[in-house]
Amino acid sequence: MESQKSAAAGFWVAASFGAGQDVGRSCILVSIGGKNIMLDCGMHMGYNDDRRFPDFSYITQNGRLTEFLDCVIISHFHLDHCGALPYMSEMVGYDGPIYMTHPTKAICPILLEDFRKITVDKKGETNFFTSQMIKDCMKKVVPLNLHQTVQVDEELEIKAYYAGHVLGAAMVQIKVGSESVVYTGDYNMTPDRHLGAAWIDKCRPDLLISESTYATTIRDSKRCRERDFLKKVHETVERGGKVLIPVFALGRAQELCILLETFWERMNLKAPIYFSTGLTEKANHYYKLFITWTNQKIRKTFVQRNMFEFKHIKAFDRSYADNPGPMVVFATPGMLHAGQSLLIFKKWAGNEKNMVIMPGYCVQGTVGHKILNGQKKLEMEGRATLDVKLQVEYMSFSAHADAKGIMQLIRMAEPRNMLLVHGEAKKMEFLKDKIEQEFSISCYMPANGETTSIVTNPSVPVDISLNLLKREMALGGPLPDAKRPRTMHGTLIMKDNSLRLVSPEQALKELGLSEHQLRFTCRVQLHDPHSDNDTLGRIYTHLKSVLKTYSIQHVPDGTVIVESIVIKVTSSAEEPNLKVILLSWSYQDEELGSFLSTLLKKGLPS
Amino acid sequence: EAIPQTRRADGPITHWQCSQRRNRQIRYKDLHVFQLEHPTKVIEWTGDKNICVAGYTGSRSEILELLLPLKLYAGENQGLCAERDFKVQHGGFSEEPIESLIHISGTRCVVTSGSSSSTLQIWDIGGDDSDVIKRTGVINLKSTSVKGCKIAPGLTDEPAVLHGSCISEVQLTEIATGRVLYTVAKESSDSVSGLQFVNACVFLICASDGTLFMGDTRDPSTCHYPLEDSKSGLHWAFGLRSDSSQSEPSGCTVARLSSSGHMLLSDLRNLQSPFCQTQLNVQHDASKNDFLNVSWAPVLDRCLSVSGFDGTVHIYNTINWSTEGQSPQPVFSHRGHEMSDEAKYSGSPPVVTTHSWHQSRPKTILSVATDGSLHVWDWVDKITDR
Repeated sequence: MESQKSAAAGFWVAASFGAGQDVGRSCILVSIGGKNIMLDCGMHMGYNDDRRFPDFSYITQNGRLTEFLDCVIISHFHLDHCGALPYMSEMVGYDGPIYMTHPTKAICPILLEDFRKITVDKKGETNFFTSQMIKDCMKKVVPLNLHQTVQVDEELEIKAYYAGHVLGAAMVQIKVGSESVVYTGDYNMTPDRHLGAAWIDKCRPDLLISESTYATTIRDSKRCRERDFLKKVHETVERGGKVLIPVFALGRAQELCILLETFWERMNLKAPIYFSTGLTEKANHYYKLFITWTNQKIRKTFVQRNMFEFKHIKAFDRSYADNPGPMVVFATPGMLHAGQSLLIFKKWAGNEKNMVIMPGYCVQGTVGHKILNGQKKLEMEGRATLDVKLQVEYMSFSAHADAKGIMQLIRMAEPRNMLLVHGEAKKMEFLKDKIEQEFSISCYMPANGETTSIVTNPSVPVDISLNLLKREMALGGPLPDAKRPRTMHGTLIMKDNSLRLVSPEQALKELGLSEHQLRFTCRVQLHDPHSDNDTLGRIYTHLKSVLKTYSIQHVPDGTVIVESIVIKVTSSAEEPNLKVILLSWSYQDEELGSFLSTLLKKGLPS
Repeated sequence: EAIPQTRRADGPITHWQCSQRRNRQIRYKDLHVFQLEHPTKVIEWTGDKNICVAGYTGSRSEILELLLPLKLYAGENQGLCAERDFKVQHGGFSEEPIESLIHISGTRCVVTSGSSSSTLQIWDIGGDDSDVIKRTGVINLKSTSVKGCKIAPGLTDEPAVLHGSCISEVQLTEIATGRVLYTVAKESSDSVSGLQFVNACVFLICASDGTLFMGDTRDPSTCHYPLEDSKSGLHWAFGLRSDSSQSEPSGCTVARLSSSGHMLLSDLRNLQSPFCQTQLNVQHDASKNDFLNVSWAPVLDRCLSVSGFDGTVHIYNTINWSTEGQSPQPVFSHRGHEMSDEAKYSGSPPVVTTHSWHQSRPKTILSVATDGSLHVWDWVDKITDR
């Protein structure tokens, strides 16, 4: 890795060192055009020890990463994509830019802090990042807008595209010169109520890196999942029970509210629905953030409603939790690890008529995680145990791309190569075949820690000077054809990121150099009993018979000229039969000159 | 105030479900709706929790082995089970649209027939080490049939397949060797609508005109039982109900269904005279003959299902059927395929291409339609499941 930070035009390397299975972590390293980029920096939620962090020794054995990375890009706020970010930037050490969208920048620190609290306070771990580290890390963040090209440095540029999946999730295009790669992060191709589908233009990247965790699933329809959700809620309130839905502030919560509101209206239900106030404030803030971040296309699909325009949904007061009778409550935080939702849970857990619906994944150590694993007795503060008698339901609404979605994305972007992360290679051969056959591109599926090299065929644009062009034209021959290579001579000037092909004379002039002519001279001794002139004549005849295609002249002033090579014959008065043949040639005719001197050393035919 | 959304909460299914709820009628115990990338006209069980489907609409078709959503099997812990999706476990490519697909019990072998080649294709679905379904061989046929050759698995220990597109071409071929084990010695050019083994030796063939042929691989002759009054222009399909895969004829009933909804039930001991005839209340459309399907429920007594006329699957209880009675009412009708979004926006409503009962769960059915929809549903009998 360290040695690869030099220019490597034409091919580059992607190293994936973190992709697991269902609950994996994403952390991908790409080396392109001499630049090194880290894509996502996730935490593996399944491990409790150092295995949960990505192994940064792949980059360098000794500490700080700043000089080895040109930038870090985070696709969205899920912990398996950003959970190790403060560890990487503050504990391992990285001071360069970290790019992410505005909503991701706003939401990341909250989730990271929550996560830190659970890990350190609840599980008592010590080798973990602190609150201050999270703050310091976020100071390095440079926010991205959709479809806006950002120059990381003179050669590296990045652009964010809408990914769907969750609020603020982006797919990123990374471009260095004429080579580019697109990383999808997590995305989905079917629109949600509050999120649109992922979209990208026909940017034809050299490589498209896509997650493939759900590539082998056929997902049941959203309507079905919603119907199931409504059925469960309805059944519970019908029997007089209470439903608790722990949520994170914005996104899914609003969608579920709309769903319930419509259902309540249709079915003429009377049980109250509450939304906790802490949620509302945050929700309105994110709402504004979201609206300014998305483009027109997304705004149309997003339901433009204020939280409190619901007829059936009211603000929650903590005293309501003790009210008799059925009700539905949305409360934070989402994993039941603290706050409002945990308080309500404690009150309602003992009654089997009640229900808690967990709408997402819960981190190990949280009450949410424990009850989803079927635990019926929970240890609370002060050694008190809580009996979990209420019904526990897990309903995931988060959307990922399935095989059909991946094919759709490939059709949209038209990459030259494909790389799938997150799946098990053995179980992905069918998808690899499918992609390769349908699009005639190569599909790679590296294992955790494996490096993949992609060979690209970059076109190198070179400007050619008019003079040189004219000169070439004057030489004649067939007309230029874009499909046929044509050899030409010129001088390539590489300056300020541009490449120009000019005539040597022009190059010399531009560079302020004077032209030097190189001439070689060589003396060949020969015994010949003729006069100097006759010897020259014999040389002329000999050369004419050997060099049939060259222009040979016998000039009256006593020289033989072969191309630019000049041949003279002299002898001394003392030894008139010992001839000295003087050959002189310019650098351009070096080969021919050498040939002639070797030839004449052999002597003349009699 | 109009809600600007592309997907509405009160979409067809939810609306329909809500209206049922209001009438205090719970129709489904479970309903899962999926969308395949390409529609299939085959559903074949390859295991307790696995099915094979295959494309028929493109020149190149995918064969997929799918694992049913584990949530269906989670029992009491259903609530905690997040797995509600189908998983593609194995996949392969066929060079032709697939008309029929059968699984050879006890093996990982499936055989397909398509609409453009004169061979049957033999495939190995594969195990844990690879997810690619590989073609391992072919069986040469005498001719090509646009409707595809009809095929049925042999029930002997040595894997074999019974196949034919017309009666005179029906033969039993051993898969491993290609050896012809049996040929039907009948000079009939009638096209085959379906065929099936009753036990290791006895088999039934149903011709498109409704004539039944019964044969025994130990006996060169076959008996045939034409319909009493055969109306031309009708296409017939059949469904065999047997107690087990090694039944004696005494335990078997055959249902024959015509494209006009005429239904005949016969006892295998007396195929000459059906013990029940009735007319179902369905619409006849000759263009959909391809998808006509009548199946007996494997667990419920004398319960059969019918599809292929339109986007519905009808379930009937035949216990109270009589020849003189009026058109029987289905105990349940699944209209899900007609109610989908895709159906709403497309020009022609989808037609159910095939359906299949779950082997052990009494009321679970899988159905697929021309729009690629795949439904898994568990229905409630209004009368018996209170």
